[in-house]
Amino acid sequence: MVYDLIVIGSGPAGYVGAIKAGQRGLKTLVIDKKYVGGMCLNWGCIPTKSLLESAKMLHKVKSAAEFGIGGIDPADLSFDWQQALKRTQQIVSKLSRGIEFLWKKNGVEFLKAEAKILSPTQVEADNRILETKNILIATGSRPAQRKDFPDALSLEDLYGLETLPEKPLLAGRGANLVELAQFFQMIGKQPIILADDLPLMPSLDAYLESYIQKQLKKNKIPVIPTIEAVIKDNYLVYNDKEHNFDMVINVSFRSAILPESVPVLELKNGFVKTDRTHQSNIPGIYAAGDVNGKSYLAHVASAQALEVIDTIMNVELPQDERQYPLNIYSEPEMAQIGFTEEQIKAQNLDYKINQYPLSANGKALTEGSADGFIRILFETKYNEVLGVQIVAANATDLISEAGILMELEGTTYDLARTIHAHPTVAEVYMDAGAIEE
Amino acid sequence: MRYIFKFPDIGEGLEEGKIIEWYVDKGSTIQSGDPLVKMETDKVVTDIPSPKSGVIAVRYGGIGDTVKVGSALVEIDIEGINAEAAQRMASEEPKKASTESVDEQGFGGVVGTIEVAGDGAYLPAGDEGISEREQPQARRKALATPVARAMAKDLGIDINQVTGTGPAGRVTKKDIQSFRPSTHAQPALKATPEGSLDRIRIEPLSQIRKTIAKNMLRSKQNTAHMSIMDEVEISELVNARARLNEILAEQSIKLTYLPFIIKAIARALKNHPVMNAELDMENERIIYKNYINLGIAMDTDDGLVVPVIRDADKKSLSELALELKDLMDRARNRKLTLDDLKDGTFSITSYGSIGGYFAVPVIAYPQVAIFGIGKISQKPVIKDNQIAVGNVMPISMSVDHRIVDGAEVSRFVNEVLSYIKEPMLLMV
Repeated sequence: MVYDLIVIGSGPAGYVGAIKAGQRGLKTLVIDKKYVGGMCLNWGCIPTKSLLESAKMLHKVKSAAEFGIGGIDPADLSFDWQQALKRTQQIVSKLSRGIEFLWKKNGVEFLKAEAKILSPTQVEADNRILETKNILIATGSRPAQRKDFPDALSLEDLYGLETLPEKPLLAGRGANLVELAQFFQMIGKQPIILADDLPLMPSLDAYLESYIQKQLKKNKIPVIPTIEAVIKDNYLVYNDKEHNFDMVINVSFRSAILPESVPVLELKNGFVKTDRTHQSNIPGIYAAGDVNGKSYLAHVASAQALEVIDTIMNVELPQDERQYPLNIYSEPEMAQIGFTEEQIKAQNLDYKINQYPLSANGKALTEGSADGFIRILFETKYNEVLGVQIVAANATDLISEAGILMELEGTTYDLARTIHAHPTVAEVYMDAGAIEE
Repeated sequence: MRYIFKFPDIGEGLEEGKIIEWYVDKGSTIQSGDPLVKMETDKVVTDIPSPKSGVIAVRYGGIGDTVKVGSALVEIDIEGINAEAAQRMASEEPKKASTESVDEQGFGGVVGTIEVAGDGAYLPAGDEGISEREQPQARRKALATPVARAMAKDLGIDINQVTGTGPAGRVTKKDIQSFRPSTHAQPALKATPEGSLDRIRIEPLSQIRKTIAKNMLRSKQNTAHMSIMDEVEISELVNARARLNEILAEQSIKLTYLPFIIKAIARALKNHPVMNAELDMENERIIYKNYINLGIAMDTDDGLVVPVIRDADKKSLSELALELKDLMDRARNRKLTLDDLKDGTFSITSYGSIGGYFAVPVIAYPQVAIFGIGKISQKPVIKDNQIAVGNVMPISMSVDHRIVDGAEVSRFVNEVLSYIKEPMLLMV
């Protein structure tokens, strides 16, 4: 038997691509050595959000009295790590069953094994040689191994811990680092960020980066540049001050997990080099998601995998790579889509920024989360929206409106004109769109 | 109820205007018809009146700012209007703009017409209005992104002709940017292989050129053009003009031949009212106009304009000379107002001032006739049975044969030429 497509890896690229392939009538097999759902579902996106939700609830309950709720003494509150994990596990297993159900429904087969690419049409797994017309590598990435802390725990290891560290040292860079630091802070720990470089989140607009830096300062989370820190056994020295830690967690920038392959895959910075259709240097072998190094976002991985299926089905892709939101599950949340101000400047476009604060939004005030703003970056010829940045409790959901606006090449006029329900936090779009000098 | 008033295309096919003066502030109460803002466009300076009574809630743009047609000018809070009425107002059909004659000096028989807003034609509502809901009798329009629409408008591209590559055929920014006029519309391009664009240049039609094209075609399709050509010896006129210029030199007035010709035509039109009329086929009648407003074609850097000399029959030669000079100056400085361009009843083109003896001018529909003046030159003429050197002015006139017969045209031309030949007759 010859498969139309063998997918290696079952994360957001692999499982989404496989479902679409099944729907398109391709005979499809997914091979994964460990979990269904990959990192996103098992120790990435979903579990971290579930745990963050627990932490945010703890944080919010502390101000219950302010909302008129008696009987809660903040001093009595504590964080039950095991219960938070249990709740997380339930969510994960539910979603995982969902994926298996969808595979089955769409005729996708699954094999739990380690895969090895023998040729563009052959994959070895489970001591068998499987024939296929196409291969999609969707094996993801992991934090790069650290030289300074070779034994540092990874995010995955964290879930195996009985108890959490009191003073974790989070070494690395990126959104995960910020999210994890705030998680520990909200549950009453004293995290330290050891930043491999600054800005912490290079893809973000400098305005958002500076906002989050201030927020971390407010949270009393030290941000220490790796290069300026003198690291000892269980403490480090920075600016003549000692910072103790009792555990190191590796949140470094990521490196690709490459499957074993006989055909030599061309790499770029350690990731599989791919073209616009996400095809590698070897025709018929594609790579989607983290492994191709284009992005480390689950939704982008899924979108890439769908494009691979389109390509296999001979559907022409739009020339441009697509706009996608960049979400940070910080406290408050941050989200960004489109160009940053720096990128707009680099293109020499005439632009303006309309900024509107959440403190002027009724719904945000009632929810007690009026920290934040929306910024709309637009060119001034047609007022086309080029970028949107939001800081708000629900920024990661709010950004979707900007996504569809930009997909449809919308303008600030369209935002100003669209009737938004009152009271909603989303009204900030309308208000920002309507700002006139 | 908030009414968003967008800068309307005031019937000239213009794209943008510059704010010269605001007559209202935020919070001002305004009555419908009162001037809101003075705008300078490609052709004219004009007051834009308020379409509604109410209170100015928002004012867009400062003095000197350029405003695109279709961009918001003001938002007016209208008292006591419910949403339904507001919706109805927004979807009212714009009143039709009238057309006035324009012809182009120096382009021989090629006579353009530009559309000029008539009374009440200031507010072609277009997409302007209170609610953006689809109008009741929705026009079929291309599915397109907002930016694609704005860009198409900006570049003068008819978006309905653009093939959309987005989902469901949606026209995107990219489609507009890569749009080339279809081979159907421009057969000349068909033979042009892709990649040889260095041998031709493609430029979208400007609004004004599109309007001219439309109106020329309309004139040719709706009238039965007939032309007559003649010559007249004007030595008497040459002398009369020279004597008058000596006399008027003190007042710094310098007469050209045009005021004499205007007077001659105005006089003849009184005796031939059908030349100063309009055919109303729909109601099977002729509308005679009891006023003589002569459109005078003027060539400017920005293109053709045709300001109107009102009641030309009631003005003296020196008044006409001053008025012509004033109109010419303002045309060149783009200071003409819409009023200057309205209500012509007959047109004159002096193409000969640039070159050419005879032409077949195109009538500025729905006017009946256009009179063209060719290049004046010295030629042999017969005087008292002798060959002599004469000053000869060729003329060319086009009329709409549906309403005027050849004999009447000849009689009209004879009368005009008799005044030009013997200007003393104008004194009688």
